[in-house]
Amino acid sequence: MNPAVSNASYFKYWRFCAAMGPVFLTAFIICWGMLGYNIPPIPADFTADQLAQHFRTHANEVRAGMVGAMLFGVLYLPWTLSITKVMEKIETDGNHMMSILQMWGGGVTVVPLVTSSVFWLTGAYRPDDLPPFILQMLYDMGWLLIDLFYAITTIAMVAVGVCGLTDKRAKPLFPRWLCWYNIWAGLSFLFELLMPFFKSGLFARQGWLNFWVEFLVWFIYILLTTLYVFKAIPRLEQERTAQLATARQ
Amino acid sequence: MTELVSAVSPERDVPSAQAPGILTFIVADVIIFGVLFVAFMMERSAQLALFDRSAAALNASFGLFNTLILITSGLFVVLAVDAARHGRTAATRGWLLASLAVGAGFGVTKLIEYGDKLGHGITMLSNDFFMFYFVLTGVHFLHFLAGMIVLALLWFRAGREPVDGPLFGWIESGALYWHMVDLLWIVIFPMLYLLGTR
Repeated sequence: MNPAVSNASYFKYWRFCAAMGPVFLTAFIICWGMLGYNIPPIPADFTADQLAQHFRTHANEVRAGMVGAMLFGVLYLPWTLSITKVMEKIETDGNHMMSILQMWGGGVTVVPLVTSSVFWLTGAYRPDDLPPFILQMLYDMGWLLIDLFYAITTIAMVAVGVCGLTDKRAKPLFPRWLCWYNIWAGLSFLFELLMPFFKSGLFARQGWLNFWVEFLVWFIYILLTTLYVFKAIPRLEQERTAQLATARQ
Repeated sequence: MTELVSAVSPERDVPSAQAPGILTFIVADVIIFGVLFVAFMMERSAQLALFDRSAAALNASFGLFNTLILITSGLFVVLAVDAARHGRTAATRGWLLASLAVGAGFGVTKLIEYGDKLGHGITMLSNDFFMFYFVLTGVHFLHFLAGMIVLALLWFRAGREPVDGPLFGWIESGALYWHMVDLLWIVIFPMLYLLGTR
């Protein structure tokens, strides 16, 4: 610990990066969800012609939505890093395995977010020239990727929970209930494994479980974790001030 | 650095118990299962004849046997928690091992049952009843496997640290989780295996 470094310098960018979580979420819901017509998804039991009609009617909205989703999707990365920095202060024994897992898991989550948007954008790029079954395939590919690459996000969510549970503070930086929620939420994505087997019902991509519940669970994870990162930072600042004072004595 | 942090963190303390935390996990899980149960009953009311006919194809004896296994295993976990509370390491480990051994029977029975169904060409896609059958029992089976791993880890750790220290919170949490696995099965068994078969 370098006492010459002030808290202002030491914790610079932490809050900014943490704020990227809600910014990402808001932009993602607007761009990917509303402009891109993914909230709710086009049902998997729609015919190719119905899907083609969708792309041809809403091409410009989908283009704008996917461009926005690709732009703002990367904000998941700085948000992830803010969590990593707090987790490093829980793993004070030098073993930063959970922090690093979370950083990689959260960082790589950007890949399915952005890549799946490319598929939907490709469909909207020249929908009048592409046959309906190709448009259907592109839309399916986007959903199969974003839903079934969930495991990388699960790694990050479980890592936050496991790390938080090892916090030895009397009042942990991440409360126990939040840690267990994150572990549960990450594991609950396992239901997505059923998505490719169904085109209707609760396990289909538009189903209430595999869409409404799972995406809501993920959005809540983002908001709650952001809240507790913001609560953790001033506590860590106070801890560091106390440590520096002790070191000077 | 590590020594410095340990020496001056005023808030650092050993947490008294983990139990309240895991209740979040349990409540969330039970809600999801509860909603699946409601979905099953709604679908059943729409396709009553199909669901009754399909339920009759299940072996209720397997289901009953598994219920007894889980209840017995749950009882042993209760005894393990009680032993841990009183600091009796050998008894804690013994009851945990007994719970593991009995619980393993559930896995064996379930695999035999799945093999039988798949052998007869019955899969998750056969009809809506078997979709619920495979999903509900499959997700429950994953919970069961996780519970077995948790019990094994607790047995292992109980041999290396005091069972009435910080480990007690984990033993209590593991027991709560195992009871949830038990509780879910107690609903799944009559709903899938008994309802409409007579």
